[in-house]
Amino acid sequence: MSIAANSTYFDFRKALSKNRLAGMLRMMSGYRMAYVAANLTLAVSSLAKTATYLLLRNFADTVTGHTQPFAGSLAATLIWIALGFVALALVEGGFAFLSSRLASFSAENITRRLRNFLFDHIQRLPFSYHSRTPTGDLIERVTSDVDSVRTFFNDQAIGVGRIVLLFVINFAAIWSLSWKLALASVAVVPVIVAVSVWFFKKVSDAYEAYQEQEAKLSTTLQENLTGVRVVKAFARQDFEKTKFEQDNWEKFRRGKKLLKMHSLFWPLSDILCGFQMLGGFVFAGILAVHGEITIGTYPAYVGLVVWLIWPMRNLGRIIVNTSTGLVSYDRLMEIVKQEREPLTEGRVRPDGPARGEIVFEDVSFQYDDGNSDVVRNVSFRVRPGQSVALMGSTGSGKTTLVNLLPRFYDYTGGRILLDGVELKDYPRAWLRAQIGIVEQEPFLFSRSIRENITYGVGRDVPQEEVEAAARAAAIHEAILTFPEGYNTIVGEKGVTLSGGQKQRVAIARTLLKNPRILILDDSTSSVDTETEAEIRAALNRLMENRTTFIIAHRIQSVMNADLIVVMDKGEVVQIGTHAELLAQDGMYRKIYEIQTRIEEELEQEIRAF
Amino acid sequence: MSDELIELEEEEHTSPLTGETFRRILGLLKPHWRWMVGFLLTIALTAGLDALFTYINRGLIDEGIGRGSIPTIWRYAAYYGSLQLVQAGLVFGFIYLAGILGERIQYDIRKALFNHLQDLSLSFYSQNAVGRLMARVTSDSGRVSSLMTWGLLDVTWAVVSVISSVAFMLAINWKLALIVFSIIPILLLIAVNFRKKILVEFRKSRRANSKITGEYNQNIQGVRVVKALGREDENLREFARLTDDMFRASFRAAWLSALFLPTVQIVSAFALGAIVWYGGMQSLTATFSVGDIHAFVSYLTFMIWPVQDLARVYAEMQHAVASAERIFTLLDTPPEVRDRPGALPAPTLRGVIEFDHVSFAYEDGKPVIQDFNLRVEPGEAVALVGETGGGKTTIVNLLCRFYEPTAGVIRINGRDYREYTLESIQSRIGVVLQTPHLFSGTIRENLRYGRLDATDEEIEAAARLAGAHDFIVTFEKGYDQPVGEGGNLLSVGQKQLISIARAVLANPEILILDEATSSVDTLTEALIQRGMEALMAGRTSFVIAHRLSTIKRADRIVVIEGGRIVESGTHAELLRRRGHYYRLYTRQFKFEKEQAYGVAAPSAVPVIK
Repeated sequence: MSIAANSTYFDFRKALSKNRLAGMLRMMSGYRMAYVAANLTLAVSSLAKTATYLLLRNFADTVTGHTQPFAGSLAATLIWIALGFVALALVEGGFAFLSSRLASFSAENITRRLRNFLFDHIQRLPFSYHSRTPTGDLIERVTSDVDSVRTFFNDQAIGVGRIVLLFVINFAAIWSLSWKLALASVAVVPVIVAVSVWFFKKVSDAYEAYQEQEAKLSTTLQENLTGVRVVKAFARQDFEKTKFEQDNWEKFRRGKKLLKMHSLFWPLSDILCGFQMLGGFVFAGILAVHGEITIGTYPAYVGLVVWLIWPMRNLGRIIVNTSTGLVSYDRLMEIVKQEREPLTEGRVRPDGPARGEIVFEDVSFQYDDGNSDVVRNVSFRVRPGQSVALMGSTGSGKTTLVNLLPRFYDYTGGRILLDGVELKDYPRAWLRAQIGIVEQEPFLFSRSIRENITYGVGRDVPQEEVEAAARAAAIHEAILTFPEGYNTIVGEKGVTLSGGQKQRVAIARTLLKNPRILILDDSTSSVDTETEAEIRAALNRLMENRTTFIIAHRIQSVMNADLIVVMDKGEVVQIGTHAELLAQDGMYRKIYEIQTRIEEELEQEIRAF
Repeated sequence: MSDELIELEEEEHTSPLTGETFRRILGLLKPHWRWMVGFLLTIALTAGLDALFTYINRGLIDEGIGRGSIPTIWRYAAYYGSLQLVQAGLVFGFIYLAGILGERIQYDIRKALFNHLQDLSLSFYSQNAVGRLMARVTSDSGRVSSLMTWGLLDVTWAVVSVISSVAFMLAINWKLALIVFSIIPILLLIAVNFRKKILVEFRKSRRANSKITGEYNQNIQGVRVVKALGREDENLREFARLTDDMFRASFRAAWLSALFLPTVQIVSAFALGAIVWYGGMQSLTATFSVGDIHAFVSYLTFMIWPVQDLARVYAEMQHAVASAERIFTLLDTPPEVRDRPGALPAPTLRGVIEFDHVSFAYEDGKPVIQDFNLRVEPGEAVALVGETGGGKTTIVNLLCRFYEPTAGVIRINGRDYREYTLESIQSRIGVVLQTPHLFSGTIRENLRYGRLDATDEEIEAAARLAGAHDFIVTFEKGYDQPVGEGGNLLSVGQKQLISIARAVLANPEILILDEATSSVDTLTEALIQRGMEALMAGRTSFVIAHRLSTIKRADRIVVIEGGRIVESGTHAELLRRRGHYYRLYTRQFKFEKEQAYGVAAPSAVPVIK
């Protein structure tokens, strides 16, 4: 697995932690130094900014004669100062850029490996997890929660540092000008921070309410648009308009509320910050008049104090947003902490393919949550190359039974042997490579038909081989009628495949995979007669020389099987060949009789006319 | 193409502002012009005051500190403080006015769009994906309203800031001012170029992001195939390529953005250098004070911010104009089916219904219905049967007047139905769709959709008649049980029963039933059958029928193939003919019997579709 070894992959199970901030810190593994560097470069940049104002001070004092020109003549000094401004701007800008670049480089890298990890982790989680987790929920987590973690690393992880650095450096600079001035300049700062945190907390609640209403409005809209026939059929246009109007108005109302909060906070904090600055100005002015500071110090102070006070207003936002990032961390870790299904663990590692002898010994299975067995005490033996038909009604356990073969679920009682070795001793990856599954309506990926046929074959397949498989699966002709033949993307430009066509693509795929064991879901009753014959022929080609399990409902499709297993309520009720089972008084004969009776009934029905 | 990608492409679309679009955008503002004038005034004053603050500081330095007059310092501080209060009031004003106006305009646009959508014909809906229409109402409206408020506000702020800075600088020292202005075109050039580059990367990352989401989605939904084919490693490799694309695009976008500000700062540092050098030289002649220098440095920043902001606003404006054009196009689309001038309300639909040489095509040259003739007596029940795509649904759509015939006439009571008002026809026709559509809300609300003024007793009576009452009362909240979004908290069978009850409540004169093909359990099936029977009693009904019991109960069976009637008559007549109907019937007979005996594929769909 090449990817696991490179920098785009990181095992986020290492980032599991009860302390969320500690967890976040572990997620940064490998990039922590980059963050330190980002903060250091930021410090350099801030220092340059501060130095700019100090240079301005020296400049003002020089021209007003408070200080001697440091380069001898005033003209020469002025040139040096002018160049100094440009140089400081280069340092400030250059390092600020470097800092942002480091931070986003780290954040984007962490996000990339987080996405890669989650993708991989999810596909390796066991079925039991997938069957109980709705797809929408998982998608929500891997998209928006990943995004808010990314925002955390991009903005908050560096943002707090930025504000603190600006504060410390500028405070120190002002202190060096006059300690009294420095203290007077930060009197209101704690109040600003407190108000800002309080406000952003409030606003995030109001914003949530606003978003909730937006979501409600779009639901109303979507239901209206998708149900347009119902709306028109009942002539309910006016009713719908009123309903939408209510939701729309409510959204307007909540938006108004949110804006009222903003329209109060910003001017109020303006006043707080503004008067804090004004106080500083007056104080600095008086100090200057008294000669405690130079006249040049005043404009420098005015420049510095801006960077001391205004960023504080945003501290609240950063703190509140951090909690969003932490909530997302929790939601992601719920996925990360799930136990994976090991693919390569196993005591026995055969060199070649399996022969295909399968023995069920007293096999039972129950789901984690359920108490009663879904499959109970199933025993039978299949020789290599034999075909076994599993019959029974819905819920009889036949699908569950075949799910045990590729170890989608592990049997909870008894044992299943393949070529004399218990399934649990084989690595799952090897085992699954031996088994081909053709479902009644298989899932196709939205990629080209060719890629769907070669999906999972695990080697480069030449076009001739793909076509040969498609021909054997009786799907070649149909593919040629698609706009771009084998390169047609499934699901695009209105290319939708019928159930039968999908099944034949899966047959072609399985032919290429060439497994020793085959699982067929053979419920062809919904397909019209013409394609049924084609599919049957394709299936027969596929079954040659493979141990085959057929899930079937009709006598017709099981008659020729070497072994028929009739199941009911999780148990095997009958086993034998068609002839043997017909001779017995049991479920199989009952089904047979029913199907014959149906034919007879139909005859009668029609004869009446 | 997914809805998300459609939206992405539309979002990327930009348009130059034309006179016509501009006039219509202004039209949206017209009812609220006072608000607009209000926020434009307040923002202009706010920006002007910003410039004045600097001017005050200059006075404080030169007249206060320079001359050592503490009372002067206090005087300027008083100006500053009072203006600060005034400005806080102004800030409150523009946030409040622009923010609420923005919400209001969005509300207006959404309302207009939604109301217009209600009047559009079904043909419009069949040509426009729901996702697109949703985007019109949700995101396009937002983009337009924010352009008209925040966008306009930013422009005003920028223009006033630049003008007032320019004016003050000219007033202080016009020569130096002219030197400083020379950087404006450079700044604009930089801003526009950066914006373009960043946008390109940003779009790439959006595109990559939506691919990533798509890949997550597929891999989770197809996890069974992934596991069965052991394709985990290859999937991760493929996915890592997507996240690499994402990384490259978003990292590039991030560092380009990070580079922008420093570049602007460095360019302006040259201006600062010029100020220092020139100002310093001037101070030798005592025409340039420390206050002047301070003022120039501040005005420089006032100029830089707006210039770089204008580039952003300009890009957003182009997108918003494209959004506005899409909105206006939708609003300009006329409904295809609407009342003719002088249309009368139909007194009743209880009369002869006649299709007279009716033809219909969704697209020119591809007729779906051709020369269709059918006469239905009042109270007659007609079953429409035939393969999917034969035209059954189109016939029903024509009857409901969702579409009108392209040739021929449909008569009700001997009169061309286009002479009646749409409302009078549609409110008297009851439709039960194949896939029942419910709205979020309670069961009661959904039932009441059939007749808005129905009492609770009437609702319950209808539910009883339709066989829905029994399962409704098993819910914890009974009739007040919420059904979930689109009714997804109920089973398919339950939704069908509710949609039948809804039609019962509407008490229509003509009934249209599109029988469901999806299978439900036997008990529900029987309930649905009984409900439908109750509904059909004594009404002219058209049933798109799948089940034999429904078909046999009809007074007349019409077999439709290729948009024409191929056979018509009673069950007995048609069976005797041994034609199309006979073939459909025998297949369906076997299928239903197998289901009845529990030996058919449980999830299979009926043969006749």
